[in-house]
Amino acid sequence: MAPSRGPLPLARNLHVTLDGHKGPVNVARYAKGSAKYILTGGQDRTVRLWNASLGTEIKVFNAHGYEVLSISVAHDNAKFASSGGDRSIFVWDVTSGTTTRRLPGHMGKIHVVEFNEDASVLASGSFDSTVRLWDLRAQSRAPIQILEEAKDAIQAIHIDSTTITTGSVDGYVRAYDLRKGELRSDYIGHPVTAVVPTQDSQTLLVTSLDSHIRLIDTTNGKMLNSFTGHTNSSYRCRACFGHSEATVVCGDENGMVWAWDLLDAKLLQPNPPPKVHSKVITWTEHHPSDAGEMITSSADGTCKVWRHPT
Amino acid sequence: MTSRLKRKLGDIGVDPSSARANENFCLIGTPLPPLEKSRDTGEFVPLWKQEVRDEKGRRRLHGAFTGGFSAGYFNTVGSKEGWTPQTFVSSRADRAKKKAARPEDFMDDEDLQDIRDSRKIVDTTDEMDFTTEKQAESQNDTDADPLTATLQSAMLPPSKDSIGARILKKMGWRVGQGIGPRISLKQRRLQDLRASSMTGSALSTNAPENALEEDTDEANKHTYAPRDTPVLIVERKDNSYGLGYQPGMSLNESLGTKGSGGPSTAPNISSGFGLGALNDADEDDLDVYDGGSVNIRSRLAYDATDDHDGERFALGSSNLRSASGPNLPSAGKHRDGTAVLSGFVLSGKPIMEDRWYPLPDIPPGWKPDPKRVWSQIQSQEQIPDSNKENFKGDPTAALPHGKWKTSGFSADERGSILGETPLPSAPRSVFDYMSQKDRDRLKNIAASLHSPSTTGISDKQPSPTLGPTTATLRIPRTDPRIAQAAISGFKPFAADPVKQARYTAYLQSQADSSSTVTLEPLPHQSISEFNSEMEEYAQSAIVFKPMSGAMAGRFTTAAVVEHGPKVIEGLHTPEFNDGPPQDNTASSDAENKAKDEKELSPKENAARMGMYGPLTRESVPWQPARLLCKRFGVKDPNPEPKTEDPTTQSSSTSYSQDPSSSASDSALASGTSPADYGIVSTTDGGSTGTSTGGPRDLANVGLGDEDDTQGRDTLTYERPSVDVFKAIFASDDEDSSDEEGDEGDSGDKNPNTINPSTASVAVVPSSVPSAVIDDQPVDPSTFKPTFVRREARTTITNADSDKKEKKEKKEKKKEKRKAIVSFMDDETGESLNLVVEKPQKKRKKEKVKEKKETRVQSKGSTTMDDDDEMWVEKPAPPSVSAPTDVEMPSTAASIASEAPRGRKRAVDYL
Repeated sequence: MAPSRGPLPLARNLHVTLDGHKGPVNVARYAKGSAKYILTGGQDRTVRLWNASLGTEIKVFNAHGYEVLSISVAHDNAKFASSGGDRSIFVWDVTSGTTTRRLPGHMGKIHVVEFNEDASVLASGSFDSTVRLWDLRAQSRAPIQILEEAKDAIQAIHIDSTTITTGSVDGYVRAYDLRKGELRSDYIGHPVTAVVPTQDSQTLLVTSLDSHIRLIDTTNGKMLNSFTGHTNSSYRCRACFGHSEATVVCGDENGMVWAWDLLDAKLLQPNPPPKVHSKVITWTEHHPSDAGEMITSSADGTCKVWRHPT
Repeated sequence: MTSRLKRKLGDIGVDPSSARANENFCLIGTPLPPLEKSRDTGEFVPLWKQEVRDEKGRRRLHGAFTGGFSAGYFNTVGSKEGWTPQTFVSSRADRAKKKAARPEDFMDDEDLQDIRDSRKIVDTTDEMDFTTEKQAESQNDTDADPLTATLQSAMLPPSKDSIGARILKKMGWRVGQGIGPRISLKQRRLQDLRASSMTGSALSTNAPENALEEDTDEANKHTYAPRDTPVLIVERKDNSYGLGYQPGMSLNESLGTKGSGGPSTAPNISSGFGLGALNDADEDDLDVYDGGSVNIRSRLAYDATDDHDGERFALGSSNLRSASGPNLPSAGKHRDGTAVLSGFVLSGKPIMEDRWYPLPDIPPGWKPDPKRVWSQIQSQEQIPDSNKENFKGDPTAALPHGKWKTSGFSADERGSILGETPLPSAPRSVFDYMSQKDRDRLKNIAASLHSPSTTGISDKQPSPTLGPTTATLRIPRTDPRIAQAAISGFKPFAADPVKQARYTAYLQSQADSSSTVTLEPLPHQSISEFNSEMEEYAQSAIVFKPMSGAMAGRFTTAAVVEHGPKVIEGLHTPEFNDGPPQDNTASSDAENKAKDEKELSPKENAARMGMYGPLTRESVPWQPARLLCKRFGVKDPNPEPKTEDPTTQSSSTSYSQDPSSSASDSALASGTSPADYGIVSTTDGGSTGTSTGGPRDLANVGLGDEDDTQGRDTLTYERPSVDVFKAIFASDDEDSSDEEGDEGDSGDKNPNTINPSTASVAVVPSSVPSAVIDDQPVDPSTFKPTFVRREARTTITNADSDKKEKKEKKEKKKEKRKAIVSFMDDETGESLNLVVEKPQKKRKKEKVKEKKETRVQSKGSTTMDDDDEMWVEKPAPPSVSAPTDVEMPSTAASIASEAPRGRKRAVDYL
């Protein structure tokens, strides 16, 4: 297929399997920059750092007392934040492998943490239905602000330069616009488990637990596209954009990785996709720059790096 | 003590630490502690300062209120480590050394102390053995063979005399002797006598008496040890006879009558104490416990001499005894011939005399008829009126007030009974003023209103018609407020509509004192039933009234209202199931479904239908924390001080003149460009427009009547000073070129994705395609969003981004040093060639720069390509912007290209 006509096919060749975790892998994230490294967090209370191309485990970060549910890497790759069942956020120094900060305050397990663009503010969304915004510049331990609009657990946060977007189990996607001083809540109607905006921040990929992935226009809340076919009704399966945002990729609860064309919402071949994980795929993330690489993490304890055959 | 003394000395002026004050004059005993050194241990310490310490000086009570026992390791094992496992030491080598563990090894000092305390000097449980000692002694006396003695002492167990016996022996006491000073022979004989009399064996004493008499002279010369006190042997009672009965006693004997034995000569004199030979046997000396003589005498339970009058009837009084003699047990016989029990005497007069009253005179014609009485009582209960008076003299006096109030007559009733002409008084209701015709008409109307419910509610009629039956109808009062609340509250009798209707009627009558609704008993209802029903209503009104005030706000009423079963009026006609019920269920199902649908909010409905958009979106103002804005490098959207208010207000009014422009304006303000999807235009203004004007409603803007302050600023406009203009216009020519460049970017929220298309369209917001797309409703199946492909975009932006990247590269090199810390590898540079994906790289640097810029307020630095910069810049002076904006609605497009509260350009003010 000519690359000019359709989107690039999904990277479906298993490059390497990262199987160091002893339980389900809840999150897998690329490092920033050239994204040569992968950070995974799992049910076994560890965060592991991997070399994506070699598949070697570089480091294990041990401090969590409960499962790790979320990881966010700072823009300079010098630190990252992780959170999970132990109700406080751990900010790590990558090189030393120690926590530089532990931010307690949430009343429930923290499902998601996210740095802002310059890692001066950290946002965390928790089961206690609040989003707390932490100041990493100052030494104060109190959050800058607590966003308490959500009625249920926060499952997803995204921060861009001026907007904080949260996805909550109560079925809302809330965008806190700092410039306008406005909160725009879009009712999706089903528990929202992931929110991924496009690069231009004009559309939002919303994964919800009704086996739908919706592309929402951020300006007026209209649904531009809806991607279906996969099974996602009880787990957080984060969908993401494929390379250059031409496709939408999502792993589902049966261990299959689905891909859709962004524009016509058609399932890409093969349909149905092969089952690549034995259990639910918890996280899908495409390489930020490399067209032919993506990672999936699964509850079967592995994280897999996929590449195009070259 | 010492502290007080010290204080006193201090008051006097003596230094307590001086040598003189501490001079010791103590010759005997322990001197007091020196004044300045230690505290007097016996000094009074207030209770809260006192500490409990054990004998080793350890604090025993710890904790917040020193109420707990010693924490830590004090009470446990005495070491900080606690129980540590003993390291294994092989005992193989020193098995010989090992000895059996004693219990004492496992005891602590307290246990040992307890053992010591419990050890007694004299063991009271030890058995005494006098015989062995005696034997030994006697043997010692007889044959003092040392060998046998030693042998014997070795063989025989050692004597086990008690300590008392040993002491007595030391004092000269011998076994078999009595204890006490030695006595003369005479005394000894007396003792013997006494002992013999006690045992009753007189014979045994007689024989030695004769023998002793011979050598009395010789014997008188000596003193003797007293006789041993006989050990009182209490016989064990192991039979089941009664007290004092011996086997073989005849019935009479046991009764005490000694018919055959004959009367005993004299009462036994108790031979216990202090009765000399010459003493006469007095009454007091009679042996009380002499079993044999019990029957003879009747005794008093208490001292008879204390009792002077002979009123008591007793088991036998002394008077009687003196009269008839003590030994006349069988003298009395009962009237029926049976003998009086021995020891008892027949009483002369009865114990208590009965009083007899003469019978009343019975009227000659009287016949006993209990039924009459009962019937009277019953009738009294039922009709508590006039009959009552026949029975009781004054019923009103007997009735308590409360009862009287409820059951008694009112003055009017009494008057009517007595046939008085009623006093002129205030009429009861409006009806009294009405003519009979009107009344009838109203009654008809009311009847037609109430007839379907058949509840017995009726409009109040003039009271005379109510008659005496209503006299006992009690309608309890309910507070009007409660009643009012209960009307709107829970319906407790929903299952019974008749009752519910009556209940509400009752409440209405109570809530509104002027209401004309009254309740009457149902036809089949008795008065008492009616009364209890009313009581029930009053109770339930109190119970079921809804919560008021603050509490009410916390609860919500149930979504499902439970209605009682539907009651079909009229007679019950059995229904035959041939179809209609199915219809009913089907229809009810449909109804339910419809209801469910209806209950969904429009938002949910829209979400379900997939009609995301204005229906599912709601925008509310939100105030980010100031620090958050600072961290994000964003100007505070709603600054707290009101000084800037005029600007924002006027600008908002100016923008909202044209709805279309405001819509695009809002789109721009949210940092989105309308180029990609020109959907943001007129119709969207309704949904998003609210945010632009703040609290104002867009629909009303510009109509003139909704804003009082509108136009005021134009009227009170004063021309600003010249230097304001100067400040603006002087900077104008420097800035204008940059501003133009900025303008293109201003619509773009993300600094990295430079989108030329956005810039171009932003200037002309209402382009044709956008309007077309927007007007038709979005159909998800056919709708195709018009995306500009990413690749295409990047190619367009290449020219732009190249320039940027050069800039970025410079910055990144500086950043690289920092990146070394991280796991970013040395190939980082590669990623730079790729499309813009590092927004954060330069942000940090820019932040610093921004800060500086905001402070200095310098304008137009060439590096500014981020529209964030516009936000931190100083807004235009309010006084200038106000009037000009009003005049120029036509520049909406150009204004729209800017953020609403951004800096005004000079062009706007011309």
